[in-house]
Amino acid sequence: MFELFHYPFMQRAIIAGVLLAGLFSYLGVFVVLRRMAFFSDGIAHASLAGVAAGVLLSINPLITALMASVVFAVIMFFLEKKTTVSSDTAVGLIFTFGMSLGVLLISLKRGYQPELIGFLFGNILMIKSLDLLLIAIASVLISGLLFLFRREITLLSLDREMAYLSGVNTDFFQLLMNILLAVSVVLGIKILGIVLVSALLIIPVSISKLISQSFGKLVITSFLFAEAIMLVGIFLSYLFDLPTGAIIVLTGSVVFFAVFLLRKA
Amino acid sequence: MNKTVIEIDHLSVRYNGKLVLKDLNLKIQKGEIVAIVGPNGSGKTTLIRSILGLVSYEGQIRINQQPIKASLAKIGYVPQTFSFDRSIPMTVAEFLRLSFKNVPLKKLRHGLMEVEMRQYEDHPIGSLSGGQFQRILIARSLLNDPAILVLDEATSEIDTVGTKSFYDIISHLNKVHQTTVILVSHEIHMVYKFADHIICLNRELICYGKPKEAITKEVLEQLYGQDIRFQEHQH
Repeated sequence: MFELFHYPFMQRAIIAGVLLAGLFSYLGVFVVLRRMAFFSDGIAHASLAGVAAGVLLSINPLITALMASVVFAVIMFFLEKKTTVSSDTAVGLIFTFGMSLGVLLISLKRGYQPELIGFLFGNILMIKSLDLLLIAIASVLISGLLFLFRREITLLSLDREMAYLSGVNTDFFQLLMNILLAVSVVLGIKILGIVLVSALLIIPVSISKLISQSFGKLVITSFLFAEAIMLVGIFLSYLFDLPTGAIIVLTGSVVFFAVFLLRKA
Repeated sequence: MNKTVIEIDHLSVRYNGKLVLKDLNLKIQKGEIVAIVGPNGSGKTTLIRSILGLVSYEGQIRINQQPIKASLAKIGYVPQTFSFDRSIPMTVAEFLRLSFKNVPLKKLRHGLMEVEMRQYEDHPIGSLSGGQFQRILIARSLLNDPAILVLDEATSEIDTVGTKSFYDIISHLNKVHQTTVILVSHEIHMVYKFADHIICLNRELICYGKPKEAITKEVLEQLYGQDIRFQEHQH
């Protein structure tokens, strides 16, 4: 059972999984508060354009996807701020634009593209040393920024007007939140895939919300649930040779319903 | 001599080109309780939001002779409701600590005592009634020792007993801390009792003065139409 720890690809997957679970659990609290779940889903899908560009140009697709996602996150911020387009409409526009561009770029490259399938549904074998380095640096940096500005980001996530009246530069922190979320989502694509990545942002915090009475406990239990779900998911995926992203999300969903039913009982 | 804390010169506000406030000129003095009354859509909330810098406007608003942004930290605001989801697990103390950087526990507890909510410090905000939560919002706005307290229909979700208690708290804060209070209200009888001055709005200034002098039959007709009747109790 423990031989999985001996394989370098599994070591990379576990380290990346633990780092991303921690980041997503913290970020997820703000995503749920600010109702940005659709934004993260939209960014994940739109990043297909970046992934496809990377594959087409033979550049690491994670890097091109990161670049594309940041551009999309900034465009969404300005669409919402400078036009009468609502938040979900802005996400819908970018979501479909990025996906369509991705499909178009993919069609330019002939032959089967296994890497693209991995990006769509996640593949634990895909995490290379450079990916792990990127995930580690970004996770530490983003978690650090979230912790440093936790008051501002929590206020903004609760209510934009309340944040403004408490002296928070709401535009700056909204833009920062968009960018941090976009980068995190793209990093998570390696494990969970474009289709499922936003689940890790919402499942742990949704479970914690069922049992927490305070914000402090929400953050801590969300972290613990995220780590447990990630590790159990990776283990089950390895043990039964099943798709990692789907198994992680299904594990989380089972835990959510179990906690929900136990709480009702 | 009273000091002017809010000076409004030729304030006009448009939403999508439509004029919702027209050429308002007002001066609000330090330590006053000023009530804004008027029918729905008369511009009461727009006036409040202009004072807080939440809407674009024509004209000039100066607070303590400074632009709004420079004085924002000294304004406490209690809205009708904030839009956030109260089902999020967060205790009263956690919610209050978010308001400003490094709020000392002693001050936080004092704020809760002022609104008679000291025992609710560790309660989740989602478990509070509308009236209790409004008190927490007042406590929140007091943490920064505001010179001005702005309340926008803050009693709309509170029952009659709660409303009376709410006005008692506001009156107490005004007397003890010399806080200037600006409140939007539909409760003319409470305004009559608690306010020093009244602003009657119907997209423009209809009246301004002491409630007993400003609220006349003609003014009420101008505000609410011919069907309204006003009866002053002599007790």
